[in-house]
Amino acid sequence: MLSVEGLSVSAESVRLVREVSFAIAPGERVGLIGESGSGKSLTALALMGLLPEGVTATGTARLREHDLLGVPEGRLKRLRGRDVSMVFQEPMTALNPLMRVGAQVAEVMTLHGEPAARARERAVELLDRVRLPRPGQIARAYPHQLSGGQRQRVMLAIALANEPDLLICDEPTTALDVTVQKQMLELIAEVAPALLFITHDLAVVASICERVLVMYGGRVVETGPIREVFARPRHRYTEGLLAASRLTPRGTRLPTIQGSVPPAGRFPDGCVFRNRCPQAGPACETEPTLTGDGHAFACWHPGA
Amino acid sequence: MRLRVNAGLVAGAVLVGLVVLAALVSFVWTPHDPTLVDAAGKLRDPGDGYLLGADKFGRDTLSQLMVGARTTLYVGIVAVGIAALLGTPLGVIAGMTPYGWLSELVMRVNDLVFAFPALLLAVMLGAVYGAGTLTAMIAIGVATVPAFARVARAATLQVMVTDYILAARAAGRRGTAIAFRHVLPNIGSMLIVQASVSFAIAILAEAALSFLGFGTRPPTPSWGRMLQESQELLFSTPRLALWPGLAIALAVLGFNLLGDGLRDHLDPKLRRIRAER
Amino acid sequence: MILYLVKRLAVLVVSTAVAGVVVFAFMALLPGDPAEIALGVNATPEALEELRRQFGTDRPAAAQFADWFGGLAQGDFGTSYVTSSPIGPQVADRLGVTVTLVLGGMVIALLIAVPLGVFAAVHHRDPLGVAISAASQVGIAIPAFLAGILLVFVFAVQAQALPSGGYVPFTESPGEWLRGLLLPWLSLGLVQGAVLTRYVRSAVLDVMREDYLRTARAKGRGRMGALWRHGLRNASVPVVTVLGLQLATLLIGAVVVERVFVIPGLGDLLLNGVAGRDLLLVQGVVMVLVVAVLLINFVVDVAYAALDPRLRGAR
Repeated sequence: MLSVEGLSVSAESVRLVREVSFAIAPGERVGLIGESGSGKSLTALALMGLLPEGVTATGTARLREHDLLGVPEGRLKRLRGRDVSMVFQEPMTALNPLMRVGAQVAEVMTLHGEPAARARERAVELLDRVRLPRPGQIARAYPHQLSGGQRQRVMLAIALANEPDLLICDEPTTALDVTVQKQMLELIAEVAPALLFITHDLAVVASICERVLVMYGGRVVETGPIREVFARPRHRYTEGLLAASRLTPRGTRLPTIQGSVPPAGRFPDGCVFRNRCPQAGPACETEPTLTGDGHAFACWHPGA
Repeated sequence: MRLRVNAGLVAGAVLVGLVVLAALVSFVWTPHDPTLVDAAGKLRDPGDGYLLGADKFGRDTLSQLMVGARTTLYVGIVAVGIAALLGTPLGVIAGMTPYGWLSELVMRVNDLVFAFPALLLAVMLGAVYGAGTLTAMIAIGVATVPAFARVARAATLQVMVTDYILAARAAGRRGTAIAFRHVLPNIGSMLIVQASVSFAIAILAEAALSFLGFGTRPPTPSWGRMLQESQELLFSTPRLALWPGLAIALAVLGFNLLGDGLRDHLDPKLRRIRAER
Repeated sequence: MILYLVKRLAVLVVSTAVAGVVVFAFMALLPGDPAEIALGVNATPEALEELRRQFGTDRPAAAQFADWFGGLAQGDFGTSYVTSSPIGPQVADRLGVTVTLVLGGMVIALLIAVPLGVFAAVHHRDPLGVAISAASQVGIAIPAFLAGILLVFVFAVQAQALPSGGYVPFTESPGEWLRGLLLPWLSLGLVQGAVLTRYVRSAVLDVMREDYLRTARAKGRGRMGALWRHGLRNASVPVVTVLGLQLATLLIGAVVVERVFVIPGLGDLLLNGVAGRDLLLVQGVVMVLVVAVLLINFVVDVAYAALDPRLRGAR
């Protein structure tokens, strides 16, 4: 349903995302993981056509029969909010502070042709669907009167309003309290059509996704069914990520990936991970390609 | 982007430098005595030792401009000095105790002073004590206090939530020690920016006051009064208005550019706080 | 909202009272006895005493203040010691002229600043956008009275299209009234427009970076559509504050511009009062101007709350 081929994102001369390719089938839930600075969010924003000024994307991306890249804004904006929608990381600033919540939910429907009166009714229904208590009252509230978790539910209601084919969530629970996080995740898992879920939290991915893409340095370094990738990581970066997030018995040292993510444009050539990889050798100076069927990885010295 | 910021800063520094230079040179040398009335040289055209010509009393325009720069800087320095000396402590105190009665009082007094613009203060002071450079400086200075206090308060509020202040407070340091060791050094660059912007406003205010006759008294040359004297001759000798007008505009532009440039240059952290105009 | 309004109103009333004390105290410092000034040095002590009683200046300061301030509240500004005519009607007359001048200037400033500021923000990377911000920087450096002189030079001296000064009441000749006010309006409006353009630009630039604009675009709005529907009202919140400051600045700028164009407004009255040592008149006019500034602050606070729901519950 969604297919992305050779997606690259660059700012001026710096390439921030390189040759990313993946596909999402209808109803499939795919996780996109990696440390901050790995290019996850840019990949998502590129698909939405919402890259910041001065940042451009190349390659192809198709959602059903619609092209998403290299298309004029006028065509793209008809898809946004209708065929593909997005929930952002920061619920506190994502809503217009001067506009009632109901109106903000209704707006996404009127924009795509729903009559105003009907959109207002549907807005309340949607607020109910994302399990907000007393939806009628919430619709009349302003964003500052709601908690972060409630606001994120409102964002989800907006995203779901036009029954899109694909929902993109960019760290939707990172800014929320732990208890609220869990409820939010359950809700997303329940209501999402096809899902692209971005996070750095491996446990979250494991709980709601079927397939995972691991990004590092603007590239997909490993991809596959979640059980397989997590049980038997092949790329050394994935291995490090998993080791770092595993609970360790008291007294043992928490394994971490040595070094830190270099700033954009400062990744080594060849394998992007080689300056932090314990296994790096001369072969790693050549760029490895993503190979494998189903479970694919880009590494010269894969783990067993 | 970075290049443009620096270009503004450099342009501002050059303009301010020119004004300062003119003022300094005027102490040791001017082409003619700026106050010398010369009936024969009345409205003398430019040239022949009088680069910019002479006014209706035969006084050399260039010499008046140079000494006028001195007046402008003098008023600006004293006025901004008053505003900084009064406004900074008030703002820092208000910022360090954001919920105390003292803070509330300071901000209320600030609002009240704000209701008395420089011009009204100068007119009131002038009515009581007789108008002059001193009353103009005091009026402009007092009227600028709220701007300083507000910026100092906003900057202090920002500094107060930083980790090193929390650490200093946790270590039991007293308020005054924190104010002098941590707050003031950290809001210093913002205050310098504010001083530059306030200086521009002080120049405008002094010019307006002198124009109205509430500023510098004759015969001391002042750009504002030169403009006022030139107004009736606008039909016959417009250049008399041109030069002091240009001097005021360039000096104000210089201080504004300097302030904006310094803000972008000095401290990106505090960029969110705008200098008050 | 009601509580907020009541509190703001209380602040306004208290500030006005304190401002009244300040103005009165200031003027009480003025050396010289109004009665002596009126009758001259050769007056008999009896005549002076009589006149003092008439003026009320023989009573304690507190009583005089109560009298003056109580009168003000009812629109009675007292009777001038110098001209023996009531001050209130003069002030009312002149106030109309000054308010016309200020509001006209404000309208021109807004007509300039809103479109230019928004344009400069949206096109902040383009040469034209940069040129607009540079031009506004130059505009700020020109005081209103200098702009007035420049405009007189261009439109009155060179083009001879408009009068260089003077004021014709609207009731006498609407056409001449307009012609007379055009240049004063422009001198105030162009300069304030330049200042305001910068604020509008930076407010819009700030808003353009906000997440909710991205949300609006994610819903299917275009760049301009999102800015128009969600950005401008948000940007107007800081601009309204500045607008208040600007109105206060314009009011004072008008005092000077009235001098340039010989317009009989409050500024003219004030300066004449100072020149003629008309204490009560100066006191009255200063008070009117101060109260005007306080009122503007009050209106800004209320407008703020009306625009931003977050402030309604606050304070």
